[in-house]
Amino acid sequence: MLRFLVRRLALALVTLWLLSVIVFLASHALPGDVGRRILGPFADPRSVATLDHALGVDRPLLVQYATWIGGFLHADLGTSLSFHVPVADLLGRGLLNSLKLGLVAFAMVVPLGLLGGIVAALRRGGPADRLITVVGLSATVVPEFVSSIVLILVFGVLLRLLPVTAQAPPDADPLTQLYHLVLPALPLVLVLFGYIARITRAGVVEALDADYTRTAVLKGLSWRTVIVRHVLRNALMPTIAVVATQVGYLIGGLVVIEVMFNYQGLGQLLFTSAQQKDFPLLQASVMTVGVVYLTATLLADIAYSLVNPRIRLGGAE
Amino acid sequence: MDRESQRRLDAIRRRRTDLENNAIDELLLGRVSRRQFVRAGTVLGLSLPTLNAILAACSASSSGTTSGGQVKKGGRITIGHQTPSGAMDPLLTADLGRLTILGLAGEYLAFSDRDLKLRPVLAESWSPNGDGSVWTFKIRQGVKFNDGSPMSVDDVVATFNRLADPTIHGNNALSNFAGVLTKGNVTRVDASTVKFQLDGPNGNFPYLVSSDNYNAIILPASYSGNWDKTFIGTGPWKMTSYSVNQSVSFQRSPYYWDSTNVPPLDGIDIRFYADEQPAILAFQAGSLNMLSFFSVRTGQALLTDPNTTVIDIQTTSHRQVHMRTDQPPFDSKLVRQALAYAVDRQSLISGLWNGKAQIGNDHPIFKMFPSSDPSVAQRPYDVSKAKSLMAQAGKAAGFGVTLYTEQVGEIPDLAALVQAAGKAIGITINLNVTDSGTYYDKYWLDSPLGITDYGHRGVPNTFLAAPLLGGKLGTWNAAHFDDPDYDALFKDYVKAIDLSAQRAATGKIEQLLLDQTPLIIPYNYDALTAVKKNLVGVETTGMGHLNLRRAGLTS
Repeated sequence: MLRFLVRRLALALVTLWLLSVIVFLASHALPGDVGRRILGPFADPRSVATLDHALGVDRPLLVQYATWIGGFLHADLGTSLSFHVPVADLLGRGLLNSLKLGLVAFAMVVPLGLLGGIVAALRRGGPADRLITVVGLSATVVPEFVSSIVLILVFGVLLRLLPVTAQAPPDADPLTQLYHLVLPALPLVLVLFGYIARITRAGVVEALDADYTRTAVLKGLSWRTVIVRHVLRNALMPTIAVVATQVGYLIGGLVVIEVMFNYQGLGQLLFTSAQQKDFPLLQASVMTVGVVYLTATLLADIAYSLVNPRIRLGGAE
Repeated sequence: MDRESQRRLDAIRRRRTDLENNAIDELLLGRVSRRQFVRAGTVLGLSLPTLNAILAACSASSSGTTSGGQVKKGGRITIGHQTPSGAMDPLLTADLGRLTILGLAGEYLAFSDRDLKLRPVLAESWSPNGDGSVWTFKIRQGVKFNDGSPMSVDDVVATFNRLADPTIHGNNALSNFAGVLTKGNVTRVDASTVKFQLDGPNGNFPYLVSSDNYNAIILPASYSGNWDKTFIGTGPWKMTSYSVNQSVSFQRSPYYWDSTNVPPLDGIDIRFYADEQPAILAFQAGSLNMLSFFSVRTGQALLTDPNTTVIDIQTTSHRQVHMRTDQPPFDSKLVRQALAYAVDRQSLISGLWNGKAQIGNDHPIFKMFPSSDPSVAQRPYDVSKAKSLMAQAGKAAGFGVTLYTEQVGEIPDLAALVQAAGKAIGITINLNVTDSGTYYDKYWLDSPLGITDYGHRGVPNTFLAAPLLGGKLGTWNAAHFDDPDYDALFKDYVKAIDLSAQRAATGKIEQLLLDQTPLIIPYNYDALTAVKKNLVGVETTGMGHLNLRRAGLTS
């Protein structure tokens, strides 16, 4: 198990290094000049050149990369070019906000998706199966900005049941914060429910048809024991992998949701920093999403290996 | 005018300067409206009571702009506002997101209101020398910053010498002061008087130190940056918390100098929105008492909402369609005129702005400027004339060209409509629409045809200078327009102090620009603010300031 973990960790570090190279090169490929973005379109070209020099963005790319990654390794994320505040301050707040929203969405959609998938598989071909599959699929294909507007109009403007802004007032207690995050989490539930339910359904259907399930039933085990101990244990493995891959999206990919619900998460931070060519902020945000994503997949690997001993023992490779 | 009115007017006129009497003559002769007279009078330093006395003597009445309603003491309001595009710093501010916030915490020497009149704020009065090259301002005494420290003449002197300093990175005020005011030429005369020695005569200088200049809030002489930690200023509001990109909260400043105008509200919470749609939804859902500014395109529903008061004010914000005059195909003025005649402005105004815009006449001296010349005819929509101009220019077969512009507001739609106008007269226009940063970086000043956004100004000086002057002063001259006659007329306009002299120049400028057509200016559009019915006393300006000193909740 330890060897498995070390190997996964080493792979994660290599992935992060590759990500750092890609994000560095990609951010420098964005059109426009950093000094110009900071000083505005009407600034004198000499001021722009002086500022570019002061910021060091006119140095060779390799030197800039070495300086940046060196600072990164020493936990110095630099200062935002646009907002003149430490990147760590903005990033810390953004990450915390994204984690909160991600967690609420996760807590809502995972049980719902699993339950939907299991019910659909157990009632295969019946009305419940069809309903769950069709509703799930339909909800998945509705773009987030459409579902967000509809939900805001219904629950926020017409019924006035839920706040339309995800950001709770400062010093709000956890329950109030949760109250503010329910509506923004709903479009995510709509997007992910069908996906998780479908994967779960497929896994459960496959497990139900498997020989070991038939054996368990013939052994005379109760239906409940067969489902929990034999079917779900095997059926949930692909679901765990799918759920883990959604973590990166839930933490760093919610630009639309964050804009629609006026929430300062990582998604908006990424979007704004890319728009404004705020390199330190952009690069640190991408790296943070990378770390979150790799941590989630690592945790999923561990969970997967606990459910499936072949993985941790190297049998699957 | 009856004898008594004449007697009162004569008494007032005896105490006035030649310039001020000239303005009164303009009013009596009917060459300026009451509104234009008040505005011109405020520039010359006439106090509002004096202006009202003159208007009363001339049997004209003055009207206020405040909203009605029984305001209760106390309470807080929440405002949805555009996210600031950068660090909160008065020196760097170049966008609405930051400007509005500056104007809540800070104050200017004068406030340029919705009618383009100047109201004294931190300056009590001002006056020019004979040719308008030296302006002297009397500074209000007893004013305190929102940290309790007193404001003095030295703070005013330091603020303006700082704003005229070309060595400060990103010093945005240079767009107003370059060629007008040199660092070191703002000096203290005595404990209540400041003198501005200008680089040359300038009849509209008070506007450049008013709220029309984004950056000109008065800061302490010792200010050295990090404004976002303190939000220091002399305004009625004191910052209590600020979260970058998220929100800022203010409470009523206990040190506010104007005891007769203490705000009824206890505080203001401002939430920043990166996009307009969610702000409008939050306003409709009741999360916001006010939406500082919204566009017709996104906020159509608010215009007919019975629970919403929409404050609609005319501004000089506009779009400029530039055509490069120094290279084919737009080096012929006939071709430029042809495209201008092919644009159906009334359709643009109704289609893109739902009527909330005023027709433009291809020069930036908009009708709301008192110095505009009403005798200059409006360019009509005339496709057959456009076609004949194309034929005269030898371009009857048409040509192809690319129009470059930015993804801002309705501009992409305007670009498509200009494309359609071109098609009607044989010009095939390809569109290249990029984000704003890329447009300004790569295309703005080098494109054969482009569309650029211009924000509101209280006087046309900036519009007439940077986008149209030849040589070094034409820093935003995307049309590469270079006409010595125009440059000479511009100089005449700038140094003119009284309205009739300004009009003598603007009439010629308007005719020249209509003839040469380096720019198509199809419209100038209104600023819209949405306010819940129970919030009254809100004052907005074309520049984007929110005056909330008299704002309060009714119940």
